Amino acid sequence: MDSKNVNVLHVLGQVLKYAALILLGIWMLLPFYWMISASLMTSKEIIQMPPPLVPVAPQWHNYVRVTEVVDLGRSYLNSILVTSLTVLGILFTSSLAGFAFAKYQFPGRNVLFSMILATMMIPFFVILIPVFYVVKQFGWTNNYAGLIMPGLVSAYGIFMMRQFILTLPDELLDAARIDGANEFRIYWQIILPLTGPALATLGVFNMISVWNSFLWPLLIAQSPDLYTVPLALNNLRTYGMEAQVLNLQMAGTVASVIPTLIVFIFLQRYFTQGIALTGLKG
Amino acid sequence: MLNQKTIWAFIFVIPIVLYLVIFSLGPILFSFWVSLNDWNLIAPLGEMKFRGLENYAYIFQQDDRFRQALLNTIRFTILGVGANTILGLAGALLLNSRLRYRGLWRTIFFLPMVTAPLALGMMWGTLLNKNFGLINRILLAIGLPAQPFLSSPDQALYCIILIAVYQYVGYYIVVFTAGLQGIPQEYFDAAAVDGANSIQTFWHITLPLLRPVLLFLVVTNTIGALQVFDIVFATTTGGAETSGGGPAGATMVLVLHMYNNAFKFFRMGRASAMAIVLFAIIFIVTLIQLRLVRERD
Repeated sequence: MDSKNVNVLHVLGQVLKYAALILLGIWMLLPFYWMISASLMTSKEIIQMPPPLVPVAPQWHNYVRVTEVVDLGRSYLNSILVTSLTVLGILFTSSLAGFAFAKYQFPGRNVLFSMILATMMIPFFVILIPVFYVVKQFGWTNNYAGLIMPGLVSAYGIFMMRQFILTLPDELLDAARIDGANEFRIYWQIILPLTGPALATLGVFNMISVWNSFLWPLLIAQSPDLYTVPLALNNLRTYGMEAQVLNLQMAGTVASVIPTLIVFIFLQRYFTQGIALTGLKG
Repeated sequence: MLNQKTIWAFIFVIPIVLYLVIFSLGPILFSFWVSLNDWNLIAPLGEMKFRGLENYAYIFQQDDRFRQALLNTIRFTILGVGANTILGLAGALLLNSRLRYRGLWRTIFFLPMVTAPLALGMMWGTLLNKNFGLINRILLAIGLPAQPFLSSPDQALYCIILIAVYQYVGYYIVVFTAGLQGIPQEYFDAAAVDGANSIQTFWHITLPLLRPVLLFLVVTNTIGALQVFDIVFATTTGGAETSGGGPAGATMVLVLHMYNNAFKFFRMGRASAMAIVLFAIIFIVTLIQLRLVRERD
């Protein structure tokens, strides 16, 4: 092949590559673009033909009007409360159990660890009815405990923290024991501070999935006071199917997705690390 | 002989194990038991009526919606996971090549993945709306006929697949990228020395070495796709009175049908039988994975 041919092929390859990327990029961004644009349109603009690409005059008050339909502020507070307590719970139980399985010898250790791994194979939907029943027996339907309690332990989190803590040297523990620290203090003051990166990965990953979860809160939160953000959004969705409320629905959607997008954009590294880890361990 | 360290270890572990017994292991056994009974969730456990395998017989022989949901779920899973595997691999290869603004592209491809499925369902529902959706207005503007999309029995399931592919492609890209970066550069160098072109390198080096990653992605996402719920709920349930599942049940899926049976009609026995069928399918998929992984080793 002469160099001219190679050059033509190279250029062609580059063109195809960027064309593919741009097409994919448009596909990825179109829904977000339209969501934002439509959230600022008048209800007339939203069905106008041909469609305007951007609103002539941005209707910022759509964002005010949407809070008159659903109590977004309250839902935000609920979501923040539920998400932060659930994620803190997962971080605590995962690191504590991971620590115990990584650094202690005790009878039944392998059996218990296999049991925990086995629960990873049980999809939540398959046990939805019994878990709902358990929560009902505890009297937690329609309150915060019902939203938070079933999500406090992650078998995957335990597995991941165990793998991470296995890599920490035993000498650290022994040194602390000589200084007279009890085992919980070793966990709390020695191990926990060293697991930062693993905790960040686990935390970001779970933060996003808890914030976005829908079916479980739908079953538990019957009164609007308890609605998390996805439930408020669902309420808005069923509020009206007509074009007249589409701009409000899109305003609500924008408001609902902003927190996870911000978390993702700033903590992207931890999120992709978490995914890549799951993929390479399997 | 329990020394102090052993006692501490038990203090750390036992509450968490008990928790999993209450919220995970116990419930799966309870699910089995309920699937053999008639129960409405409200009646005391002692008043459950034992029915043997009747619930299973019913859902497979008389519940047309269930069979439809099962078929839809399988179609959704195969097409969605298949399309995503190809697109995700292509995307990862693109992102792994020499590229400007790689970080920006990555962020763009990952945005849908971190967005609530319910919100994505609403965004796409708006775009694909038959009467005033943006897509139809674009089609009309360039002289093509408008499409019914989500309100057509023939197109609705494909719309759902499109949304799911959109949502998860970033996930595949992340995992494939990690897999690609795990392939030692020497392999590519050796192939280049032997005069392999990029297509040969892909088929004989990249793809075989990505096999474990590919296997992992297909299995975990098959398990996830079999449980699709949020996007179907967001795009096809209307007011409180409809059960969802699209026109003529075209997008009825297992979990939605199960949810309706359990929490709309309070038929816990039948709903649990469906849950167990779902569990069995997922179990078989997992076993196949273990088999394939062992073969590799």
